[in-house]
Amino acid sequence: MTTDHDHEACRALFEKLSEYIDGETDEVTCAAIKAHMKACPCCITCLETLKRTVGFCEGVPEEPMPKEFSRKLRETLRHLPVSP
Amino acid sequence: MATKPRNKVIDNDTPLIIAIQGGQGARFEELVTRYEGKLYNFGLRICKDPSDAEDLVQETFIGIFRYIQDFRQETKFKNWMYRIATSVCHRMRRRSKYAPERELSLDEFLPGDHAEIDTELPDWAAMPIHQVLNHELGEHLKASVKELPPQYRLVLVLRDMEGFSTEETANILGITATNVKVRLHRARLFVREELKGYFS
Repeated sequence: MTTDHDHEACRALFEKLSEYIDGETDEVTCAAIKAHMKACPCCITCLETLKRTVGFCEGVPEEPMPKEFSRKLRETLRHLPVSP
Repeated sequence: MATKPRNKVIDNDTPLIIAIQGGQGARFEELVTRYEGKLYNFGLRICKDPSDAEDLVQETFIGIFRYIQDFRQETKFKNWMYRIATSVCHRMRRRSKYAPERELSLDEFLPGDHAEIDTELPDWAAMPIHQVLNHELGEHLKASVKELPPQYRLVLVLRDMEGFSTEETANILGITATNVKVRLHRARLFVREELKGYFS
């Protein structure tokens, strides 16, 4: 499927997509992106896959810290020469 | 002309920091308990291997221990701690044999024309996150982040994994907010390309 509107508009908005996802674009840009998305399925895919990338990054679980390292860390800090 | 004193930032860490600065050095271990896990995971996301992550945690706490008397609460303690951690990263990088810094160009990620873009939303972007983000994908994602050039990796990890705002990330890294936004966008596009490869 292709669209018949100006591809240059996609390129211009492309570099603003992260700011748009983060709610950091100005009102004019935000409105321009919203209007463009209504007419451009390609840019919707682009936006949604980028949003999902951010969602995955935010959702990666933390790993437990090795207990042995935690013990060694405390031991090292206890023996530092000057106390805070 | 005298400079105007900055407002102090008060948060949950403030009472503990004031106590330590006031002579209760034994309570430093409470700071370690509070943040060792966060810093360790930050290290895992930034460094090449777990032993480097452990070095980062240890060096960061040593830095905090040394300089905590200089902390003036002009920012959150956590942000100050990450500033120390990122400077440890830079120091470790200079000591190591990492590849030289590489710039990511926006052009690398621009689709050539519409014919190259699938207008159907792929399943991995359409399904609920919890149904897609399993252990294997998480590991692949972390590996992808490590492929980013360091200046982009730090921004992406601080913004999208550690949860700092654009302004906070700029302050931690000592760069402008505009620079954070530019690096973050390119880093996200890079990781998205890796994800596309994983799912294809």
